[in-house]
Amino acid sequence: MNKDKQAPAQNDGRNDETAKKFRSRRLRFMGLDSDDVVRVFFGGNATLAIVVLVLIMVFLFKEGAGFVGQNARELETYRKSGLEYVDYMRVELDAYNDLPRYLTKVEAREIRYLMNEGLELEQARAQLKELNRYTMELRKTVRPLDRYIKEVSEVAINLRDQYKTYLNKAQERDNLLSDAGRASGQKAEDLQQSADAVTVNVVDLDQRRAALIEELPRYKEVNAKLRNDIEKLLTRIPDGGPHLAKEMERFREKAERFIRVSHSTEATLATWNPEKPVPFAYRITNFLFGKSWVTNSYFQDWYGVLPLLTGSVIVSLIALFFAVPLGIAGAIYVNQFASLREQKFIKPYIEFISAIPSVVIGFFGVIVWGQFVRDASGWAIFSWIPGFPISERLNAFTAGCLLALMAVPTIFTLAEDALNNVPKAFKEASLAVGATKLQTTIRIVIPTAISGMISAILLGFGRVIGETMVVLLCAGNRISIPDFSDGLSSIFQPVHTMTGLVAQEMGEVVAGSIHYRALFLVGTLLFFISLLINYMAQKIMRRYSIAEK
Amino acid sequence: MSENKQNPFQYNAKSWLYRRERIVTSTLRLMTYFVILCASYLFLDIIIKGAGTVFSSSFPFVNVEFLTQSPETLHVFEWQGEKMEMADSTFRNWITENGLDATSIKTETYAYSGGGILPAIIGTIMLVIGSMIIALVLGILSAIYLSEYARDTKFIRAIRLSIVNLAGVPSIVFGLFGMGLFVLFLGWGVSLIAGWFTLAFMVLPIIITASEQSLRAVPKGFREGALALGATKWQTIRTNVLPYAMPGILTSSVLSVARVAGETAPIMFTAAYAMRDKMPWEVDSFWGFLKQGVMALPYHIYVVSSKIPQNEYTARMQYGTALVFMMVVATIAILSIYLRQKARERYRW
Repeated sequence: MNKDKQAPAQNDGRNDETAKKFRSRRLRFMGLDSDDVVRVFFGGNATLAIVVLVLIMVFLFKEGAGFVGQNARELETYRKSGLEYVDYMRVELDAYNDLPRYLTKVEAREIRYLMNEGLELEQARAQLKELNRYTMELRKTVRPLDRYIKEVSEVAINLRDQYKTYLNKAQERDNLLSDAGRASGQKAEDLQQSADAVTVNVVDLDQRRAALIEELPRYKEVNAKLRNDIEKLLTRIPDGGPHLAKEMERFREKAERFIRVSHSTEATLATWNPEKPVPFAYRITNFLFGKSWVTNSYFQDWYGVLPLLTGSVIVSLIALFFAVPLGIAGAIYVNQFASLREQKFIKPYIEFISAIPSVVIGFFGVIVWGQFVRDASGWAIFSWIPGFPISERLNAFTAGCLLALMAVPTIFTLAEDALNNVPKAFKEASLAVGATKLQTTIRIVIPTAISGMISAILLGFGRVIGETMVVLLCAGNRISIPDFSDGLSSIFQPVHTMTGLVAQEMGEVVAGSIHYRALFLVGTLLFFISLLINYMAQKIMRRYSIAEK
Repeated sequence: MSENKQNPFQYNAKSWLYRRERIVTSTLRLMTYFVILCASYLFLDIIIKGAGTVFSSSFPFVNVEFLTQSPETLHVFEWQGEKMEMADSTFRNWITENGLDATSIKTETYAYSGGGILPAIIGTIMLVIGSMIIALVLGILSAIYLSEYARDTKFIRAIRLSIVNLAGVPSIVFGLFGMGLFVLFLGWGVSLIAGWFTLAFMVLPIIITASEQSLRAVPKGFREGALALGATKWQTIRTNVLPYAMPGILTSSVLSVARVAGETAPIMFTAAYAMRDKMPWEVDSFWGFLKQGVMALPYHIYVVSSKIPQNEYTARMQYGTALVFMMVVATIAILSIYLRQKARERYRW
């Protein structure tokens, strides 16, 4: 530094010389002076960081994209081996099973109702004896169909397994053969030998499948009998009294719907074509809109993200339902109405909440809050809500409330920032013309800051949907789309979320398997959702902000 | 001047305008304090129930066993009319000392409920230190490059935008990535080093963004002044930019330390073991040190609150662990809030 200061720069004629003097004092290494080295060093670091971050995305997408191809193969096998054929019947069976299940549910609810009316359990049961016997009879009617489906399932699964082994073996032999083609001399011979050693049992799919399809008349017979039985049963639906009239009517509708399903299943099976190619888009739509996520099943695994997405969205909406009013109200209060002392206390406190590790909140939910929710649902004041008292301690509502606690600090801090950025002059002008504090807040400050507040809510949403530990511990982890026909009580059902599922299943998958890829695809989906939310928040912030200058 | 001409702006407590104002204000106040109440309940619940495990009423006022032992199975049994509770190792010593037959005593055992959490504390500290070194070096140097050296081209802007967006990506996605790349693809297995890198890349976008913001907040005049005196670029940065940006950078890094310490999802399959008997330094080589999995406080809480049956003995352990964990994270968080306030007071321009 000192030497630099002494360097003279007296007149224009000696400018070059001066520059030389400056330059000559700097150490050079490979044509770079120290400043360049520093710059390159920093640049290298930045490049490294960016390369790593790009790598994350590439890796995520690569693994996720692998799912598409693998899924296509799975689906093809599913169709070719006749599992699909059997699955149509299983769908029918599921539709049937809904009937006795519904009656049992009605019975249980009725018993509870009667007991509330003052009857003993035994008395209530006695009163519903007829309904109970009817349900039993209904259950009996399905047995032949059940047995038949078990039989054909066995056949189809067997076929699938053999076909898969065949594909794997054929692949192995092809690999060895192509290696042998490339290698030379002794090695090629060895490879050729080991390729020959691979026994490939060609599975004659057509013939085996034909055996399956030939059984169709028997199925039709069984099915017709079942329909017949049900129709007979429908003629003498037990009369549960006027109180149950609506339920019985609903049961009749359900039974009639089942009969229609049964007919249509027969029609589908008759025209079923195993060689029909799987449409390309179905590989992806099967993931995005698939309604079931079933893994390690003996029958067929499904990777449909819809139940998880629904779970994530339900939990997030519950969280936002509580967090948005609380967070925004807090921000408005602290920014506009609170005294200085309150501000100094509330702001750091709420910011501090965001530092609570999520696993601690989840732990609190498991130990304290979940129990409280279940107990509270038994209170008399909530008895008007259908489905109360709830049986599950851990459900979407439990998790949602806890997530609300995590979202409040995010929403509060960002919304408060937005309110803070409103120019003072706006507020002062409004007050000067005689508006009250509240009028100023509602008409001037909030409209000015609204873009910031909306993006605060969006970022809160982003935080909630990406949260893992709380939902993993508290959401109940049942993979199914909640039954929305139950109204309000559907938010008290256990759900599983995308984040929770990845955390739960990632530990036990085989690398490279379709399950592993499916989890990466879920991760990719999460990645895109959070990017979208972030991007939207920024866009809204920039587009509608008038408070910048 | 007529008598009945009122000042229209005069404060009138009974008028609807002011009454409405009071109602709205008190509703807002109520909602704000409701949040504080909920959070306080959570804090108090954990502090009060956890204090019984972590602290003790006699000297040295902390539960030494809890803080210096590994988790063990707890044995609960009756002995000569007295109810005894012992961790597994103590129980065995006790058996041999008294010359008893272990099978003759009927004990109920509770997994993870005895002993302490020392390995988890040490594991968390090691994870934090390693990942923060990686993240801070990469993050701060990148931020300096982006704010001081990089030209404002479209490409750089795109990079900046994507870094900002990456900061919002859920931590589980980073965990997934870490598992795929480090654990499986590079074959490091569930290890300390895989956890370091996963956590480091998780906070990297946050550190870059925050550091760059504090660097950019330093007025241009500071740099121009130094450059005008003939200082080189690096001299300028070293003497006139970094000192002023340091408080901001520091705050953001302390905040990300809290985040790293508190996250569970990224380490679940990259670094954390549910149970490990050996201490981290009991390894044969340096590579063995890096390749070992460790216990960590957040993962331990997850394990004891979801994987084992709940009862009063495990509850004690759970609350104790949660309290220690909260204290660690809270200390870091309070430090960062304090630092930020200090920094705001010190540098104003």
